[in-house]
Amino acid sequence: MAAVDPFSVELRVFERHRREWSRSHRGEYVVIQGDVIAEGFFDSYAEAFRAGLRKFGARHEFLVKQVWPTEPVYFVS
Amino acid sequence: MARAEIEWDPSNPFDPGPCISVVVMNSPEFIEAGRAVGLEFPAPHPVQALLDTGAAVTVISKTFARFCKLRQTSAGTELRVLGSKYLAGEHAGAISFPGTELRTFDLIRIVSADFEKEPNYACLIGRDIMRHWDIRFDGRSKRVTIID
Repeated sequence: MAAVDPFSVELRVFERHRREWSRSHRGEYVVIQGDVIAEGFFDSYAEAFRAGLRKFGARHEFLVKQVWPTEPVYFVS
Repeated sequence: MARAEIEWDPSNPFDPGPCISVVVMNSPEFIEAGRAVGLEFPAPHPVQALLDTGAAVTVISKTFARFCKLRQTSAGTELRVLGSKYLAGEHAGAISFPGTELRTFDLIRIVSADFEKEPNYACLIGRDIMRHWDIRFDGRSKRVTIID
C-alpha cells in the first residue's frame, strides 16, 4: 500500500483558499484538520497551535500554516 | 538578564562552529494534553546545537524529531542549502538550554530535515531564536557570549 503524504488533505484545503486568504489574512496562521478549518486566524504560530490543540485535541495531527501568496523558501547556509 | 558563554575556535578546522547544548521536546501544554489521552513521551535528551546565523529557521534532524516524538504540524516546507532544495517537516516544540539561564522557548515552530553525515550536532539554532539574543564573538579569546 502506498504511503499517504502527511497533511496531503489539509494542504489541498489550504491551496483551495490560499488566494482568498492571502488577500485578507496575509502572514497570519490558519489551522486545518482533514477538511475542517479551525475558526479564526492567528497572529503567531504558538497561538495557532494552541487553538488547534483545543479544537482537535492531542490524539490527531493538525496542520498549522502561515498564509502567504506563494510558499516561502527558507535558506540555510 | 541571562548570559551564556561558549567556546569557538574558528582557526581550528575540526571545530564545527559555536555549539550549545539544547533539549528539544514537545511543548508543555501538548505533553499535558497528550498524556491525558494516553500518549507517551520520551525523557528529555540533550543534544548539541550549532548557532547558525545563516539559518533562517531553527532546524533539527529528522531522526531526532522522531526520537522526541515531536508533534508534526506541516510538511513539504522548502529549505535551500547551498543551492540545493530539501523538503522538510514542521513541528511544534520547546527548546531549552540546560546548564544556562537562557530562557526556554516553550512553543515554537521547528523544521526537521536530514542531517547527513553530521556527527557534531543534531540541531541548528536559527535566526528565529537568535533574534531574541545579543550575541558577541571575541575572536581573541575564542568565546561567544549570548545575552538574553
